[in-house]
Amino acid sequence: MNNSEKTALIIGGGLAGLEAANKIGGAGYKAILVEKEEQLGGIMKQLYGSFPRWDNPRELVDQKVKMAQENPNVTMKTNTTVKSAHKKDQTFVVELSNNEQMEFDAVVLATGFDFYDASQYGEYGYGAFDNVLTALEFEAKLKEMESWDKEDLPQVVAFFKCVGSRDRSKGYPYCSKICCMFTAKEAGLMKDLNPDAKCFVFYMDYRAAGKEYEEFARSVMEDKHVRYVRGRPAKVLPENGKLMVRAEDTLMGVPVEVAADMIVLANAMIPAESTIELAGIFGAKIDQYGFIDYIPGHPTQTGDRVFFAGGCGFPVESLGAQYQGAAAAADVIALFTQD
Amino acid sequence: MNVAYYPGCSLHGLAKEYGISVEVACKHLGINLKEIEDWNCCGATAAHSLNHELTISLSARNLAIARDMKMNKVLAPCAGCFSRLKGASYELRNNKALAAEVGEIIQAEPPVEPEVNNLLQFIMEEQGIDALRAKVVKPLQGLKLAAYYGCLLTRPKEVVQFDDPEQPVSMDLILQALGAEPVVWAHKAECCGGGYAASDTDIVIDLSGQILESAQIAGADAIVVACPMCGVNLDTRQEAIAAKKGKKYDLPIIYLTQLMGIAFGYSPAQLGLKRHLNSPFPLLQSKGLL
Amino acid sequence: MLNTADFYHVLRIDQTSNSLREEIKEHCHTDIEMCLECGKCSGGCSNAHIFDITPRKIIQLIKVGEEAKLLKMDALWSCVACQLCVDRCPSSINIPRIMDYLREKAYSQGVPASRPNVELFHELMLNNIKRFGRVPEALLSVEFNIRSKQYTKDAEMGMKMFFKGKLNPIPARIKNIKQVQRMFRDIPAQREG
Repeated sequence: MNNSEKTALIIGGGLAGLEAANKIGGAGYKAILVEKEEQLGGIMKQLYGSFPRWDNPRELVDQKVKMAQENPNVTMKTNTTVKSAHKKDQTFVVELSNNEQMEFDAVVLATGFDFYDASQYGEYGYGAFDNVLTALEFEAKLKEMESWDKEDLPQVVAFFKCVGSRDRSKGYPYCSKICCMFTAKEAGLMKDLNPDAKCFVFYMDYRAAGKEYEEFARSVMEDKHVRYVRGRPAKVLPENGKLMVRAEDTLMGVPVEVAADMIVLANAMIPAESTIELAGIFGAKIDQYGFIDYIPGHPTQTGDRVFFAGGCGFPVESLGAQYQGAAAAADVIALFTQD
Repeated sequence: MNVAYYPGCSLHGLAKEYGISVEVACKHLGINLKEIEDWNCCGATAAHSLNHELTISLSARNLAIARDMKMNKVLAPCAGCFSRLKGASYELRNNKALAAEVGEIIQAEPPVEPEVNNLLQFIMEEQGIDALRAKVVKPLQGLKLAAYYGCLLTRPKEVVQFDDPEQPVSMDLILQALGAEPVVWAHKAECCGGGYAASDTDIVIDLSGQILESAQIAGADAIVVACPMCGVNLDTRQEAIAAKKGKKYDLPIIYLTQLMGIAFGYSPAQLGLKRHLNSPFPLLQSKGLL
Repeated sequence: MLNTADFYHVLRIDQTSNSLREEIKEHCHTDIEMCLECGKCSGGCSNAHIFDITPRKIIQLIKVGEEAKLLKMDALWSCVACQLCVDRCPSSINIPRIMDYLREKAYSQGVPASRPNVELFHELMLNNIKRFGRVPEALLSVEFNIRSKQYTKDAEMGMKMFFKGKLNPIPARIKNIKQVQRMFRDIPAQREG
């Protein structure tokens, strides 16, 4: 068999999956990418802004999609999922939701993550009160607010971090890693839209470990004047059309209140149920939470001829998703070259 | 159905109208209340504040009697008593060493059964909303009510395991089934000051004041309670709160079972409606319910 | 009651003890080392605005073994046990149970309560339970007013409540009072006023 006939299945058309498909296709192998949604680009496509360089996230996605479209080795199938699969020697025989049956020599899982259901925090009133939004909903709201009159824009916005993460009581114990950064970004974007708005970020810690991250977070505080309050909010009480936030300022050690117009919850990134299902189908390893786990010494590999990239392994920012997509592709290419 | 009934001290005293109306409402729903024979006080705030073993022992004796009466459920309409009984039952199940000590003190096998229910949980789980609605003869139309849960009907969640402790809905659903309109409001699960009514009244005036304020902002005609401490604090301290804030609230504080009684067609006298300091009569009359 | 002066000294934390933390773990079945120091307990606490020490600081003081401060803090006598802190704590640290434990310890060691009336009310209530098995509310409030020297406290309201049939003047005693009294045998006799 001619090596260039080797074919990889990439499941998930977000930034990680697109990167893997482009690299595998670029090396001369076939890459079939399936995406369950109508649109490619995953979470990234739904974002209004990005960190740490304030780039336009939709432009990045469009660039990756265009590369894939122009690569004859890459085929993208949207609105498509994997129905079933079984192993035959060195290949996976896969049945897709459109009833196509295809054979693959390797699989890259790039199914991304889900978001924690913020309504489980009754104290924050998500689902009970208007103007309590999740971070992703706020990205769409930012776009919408571009066309609002200034007096209609929220004057006071409070951002809550660690909603469902670092919570052993009703969430997940892990830190979901990128919320500190995207919250800083969202607060900064709010200030760009309305410099008169007061933005408060309630934080337990702020974690900015990454190239240019600390500088980014500091610039949001120092140049855009977003106020950081150290303390995890306890309760939101609607009062006369405002949302009264109760928290402790743990630096002063006193209870504080903020009468907000809008509240943005940085709800944790959690494993997607479809990932767990697919892991079962392809024999991938799953960690204690439901994220894809790696084989020790092989950071992008999770099973025999099964690789993974992006948020299905753990919450990851856009640059990391691209690194991981490229790394998984490198493993696939190395495998195909050896075959 | 038969259920062990734990009225507690308040339903025989300060909140007699709650006790009376619990009996009326339950009878109407076909529930036989079998009062726990020779029950003792749950110890309330005093016992758990000063002696852990005592607070568990006091409740353990009551639970043991209920168990010996062959009851598989205890109804404790007072949220304070409920919390003590339920908490004791939780501790006895999870702390074997303490259970053994308590068994020795009460000279009985430490009770891990029966299950303890508060009024809301009991109605939701043993009756259900549809069955309740079917019994309504006089819908509470036009009544805008603030369902007030306070602390102990849903908290701590690990022990109570019922409803959402932060945004509870069960009482709202019950009020809806009775034909009333529950309002959306902020303080449905905040604290009224609980057991400090006599010993440190300022605490109650502060915390209950926030609740009255919030209910008024939400446009409620009255506050509905399922706890004698909440009921007594909000009713008897309302005058002092109003004086302190220099405004009027005029918010009757009505027990849920009194409203059930009205909706089931009982008379004010049968429900102890004259016992409130803030009379619910003008409101109920204005809505044509009396 | 603690004030800022109680904290105006350098605390040599290498010389503090772990015994209180261990004691609390054993008796309250809750591990304060799980604290994330987020302050969610204190932000929503019903009475943090009147506490001398917020719940988060209480946990911190337990960590450094500052037992003497903890046993005399006002928060012990103004905590309403509303259970908001434990339900919201991301580590489910049972703060209400810790408060009960510390209060019980302060009480049994005779540490003066910062709110003597609160302590007195608890004592009188327990005395009544020991005597009758139940609480005669009217008798208790009269006793409390006399013992706390607030002779006219709530007198007007008390009369209103009496006429509304809310105060039952005759205490009822349960039949098997001996069984209840047995529960008090290990409890130091209440201080007489």
